[in-house]
Amino acid sequence: MLRVEDLLFVHPGQPTEYSFSFIAEAGEVTAISGPSGSGKSTLLDLIAGFLEPRSGRITLDDIQLVPLQPEERPISLLLQSESLFEHLSAGRNIALGLPPRTSKDTTRQKVGQALAEVGLSGVEHQIAATLSGGQKQRVALARTLLRNRPVLLLDEPFSALDDETRQTIRDLVKTLTIRHRWHTILVSHHADDVEQLAQRRYRIEAGRLELY
Amino acid sequence: MVGTVSRPAMLTLPHRPFRIATAITLAAAIATLIALVLWAILAAATDSSSTSRIDIPHLLRMTTIQAGLTTVLSLAVGTALAWSLNRLRFPGRDLVVGLFASAIVTPGMVVAFGLLAIWGRNGWINQASEALFGVSIGSPAYGLSGILFAHVVLDGAFAARILLARLDAVPANRLKTGQSLALSAWQRFTLIDWPALRGSLPGIGAIIFLLAFTSFPIVLLLGGGPANQTLEVAIYAAVRQDFDLSGAVRLAATQIAVCSIVILIASALAPVPTSFGASTPPRWRDSSTARILQGLVLAIATLGFVLPLLSVLVGGVGSIGRVLAQPTFWWAAGTSLAVGSASALLTLALALALAMGRGATANGPLRTLLGMPAFAYLAVPAVVLSLGFFLLVRSLGIAPAQAAPFVVILANSLLALPFAIATLGPPLETIARGRGKLMRSLGLSGWRQFRLVELPLIGRDLGVMLALAFCFSLGDLGVIALFGTQDFQTLPLMMFRALGSYRNNDAGAIAAILLIGTILAFAGLPKLFGKIADAAR
Repeated sequence: MLRVEDLLFVHPGQPTEYSFSFIAEAGEVTAISGPSGSGKSTLLDLIAGFLEPRSGRITLDDIQLVPLQPEERPISLLLQSESLFEHLSAGRNIALGLPPRTSKDTTRQKVGQALAEVGLSGVEHQIAATLSGGQKQRVALARTLLRNRPVLLLDEPFSALDDETRQTIRDLVKTLTIRHRWHTILVSHHADDVEQLAQRRYRIEAGRLELY
Repeated sequence: MVGTVSRPAMLTLPHRPFRIATAITLAAAIATLIALVLWAILAAATDSSSTSRIDIPHLLRMTTIQAGLTTVLSLAVGTALAWSLNRLRFPGRDLVVGLFASAIVTPGMVVAFGLLAIWGRNGWINQASEALFGVSIGSPAYGLSGILFAHVVLDGAFAARILLARLDAVPANRLKTGQSLALSAWQRFTLIDWPALRGSLPGIGAIIFLLAFTSFPIVLLLGGGPANQTLEVAIYAAVRQDFDLSGAVRLAATQIAVCSIVILIASALAPVPTSFGASTPPRWRDSSTARILQGLVLAIATLGFVLPLLSVLVGGVGSIGRVLAQPTFWWAAGTSLAVGSASALLTLALALALAMGRGATANGPLRTLLGMPAFAYLAVPAVVLSLGFFLLVRSLGIAPAQAAPFVVILANSLLALPFAIATLGPPLETIARGRGKLMRSLGLSGWRQFRLVELPLIGRDLGVMLALAFCFSLGDLGVIALFGTQDFQTLPLMMFRALGSYRNNDAGAIAAILLIGTILAFAGLPKLFGKIADAAR
């Protein structure tokens, strides 16, 4: 279980004091919603380690995450855009999820498997910039599979997608979360994303999280 | 429990202590070197008891007038040219734009020589005038008019290239609004173009003023005597011709003081933010009168820039065979290539390390510190830097001739460094800030960041930077003029010596070879590195 307890943060020069507490279970999608500027992305940055809280705890199965640097945390990220290096091929982007000295054969095999799991076989050599929005998100999810980190943070990942693709990627996220027992935390201001995906729902009001 | 807020608030930049440490070390080394050079100059100025007869106020006045006129004329020509190029669409437009972009690396000596071939006593214009009308127009290529002409040819083209980028970046929606309001050509310029340009003019003006203030080869060739000398040429004359070291040191100190003041003023003129990157403009043609004017401006500017270079090629090609038969040519060409390559590689290493280190930190004072080496050239121009090195190696008991190769390579690198950092810094910053979160969350090592992310994206910029540094070094006369010997000379110095001994044909051939070398390097290196970067993807 991922547990966030009394996580306190203030942006320098701003009056709002954020205080976040919530839990996210393995194999579940936990949604965080709220209006623009309410602090949703701030919460994700705190969990990912891009912001340092004033106080509070983040634990994953009783392991403290706050002292860890962002790259040391057991976390994968999927953003609204720029989750990929657009100048690299899809295969190279996915291979970044593997340890640096992985052999070529193993890399090729694992990239192929990951792409097959997200339903996108055969695009290994395609430059990421030429992929559609939905394909890019699938490639980013394929990389997440190879990284094999237990926490997946999704920051408005479906916002740039059309309705049909949005539904497909949502289903994929749900399937992968259950299959790999990820603790998936979804930040979105779209009610239908939250309703369709999340088993546990929180809303940010005045810097605090409320279960609803 | 939680740690204290000792780290910066946002931790999206990848953790790169090695990059930061390397950059700090290099910045400190460069600062120490510059400090030593300045110390050598000031110590010599303080120790010197001999009286110099150099009239510094006169030199300062003349240099300022020349640089001021150059700045005003270059900005006017650059603005008119950018306006014309922004409006006109014709086959070969990209080639013309590329031609003006090459002005920054075209050796001043070559342009000056070309101007003499066109406007000199035996130049094309005089020959045509005498043949057609039986009268000579004299020799306007010498003196203040010649210096201004040469400077405006180079600096006007330089300004035009930057200003054109500003005009090309005007948002398409603004143009659509203007077009729907049926703005006249004048209204379009004042309401849309001018706001996009004016923020850049003070900065470009300051750079042009400094370039003209510190101009060396053009003034040396076209100055026509002491009346039009700049401080740089006076320093060279004091050291090499009059052996007046005390005068040279006083001149160098004056030069540094003036350049520093101009830099301070220029840095206070904060640029007005404008849009960047080319927009997709709607098809909006100005009135036919305006288009005729634009065509005229473009034709005159292109002729003004191309004719001197063309005359160098036409005049020089015939004598190339004779020059190639001289062993001294091959020795000088080899030296130029070796010095150019070595200083370009050194510049690359320094610029990459400094820009990467700067991009890896969010610490404001540290970022300022790591940006400082870029100002070395502006505060301490070529001849002054050479004089400082000359005094420094002499005070260390080393013969200047022995130190010459190292000093010339190092000095040329330092001179190219601000341009190299200006080329590599922004894309590296953009990568670090734009993709930092992703790189950090993936735990990319510094090497993987360079190989997979930075190298493919900045490959062409690396080529541009190497081409700039190589061409600067290839065309340099300021540094080599003080350190050159019979055994250690580059092509520009060999050309200068050929002119001094009235071997104009040899000088013309060398100028043509320098021009061809510059064009090849400037056009070829960015493409080559673009391909290398593509292969890294």
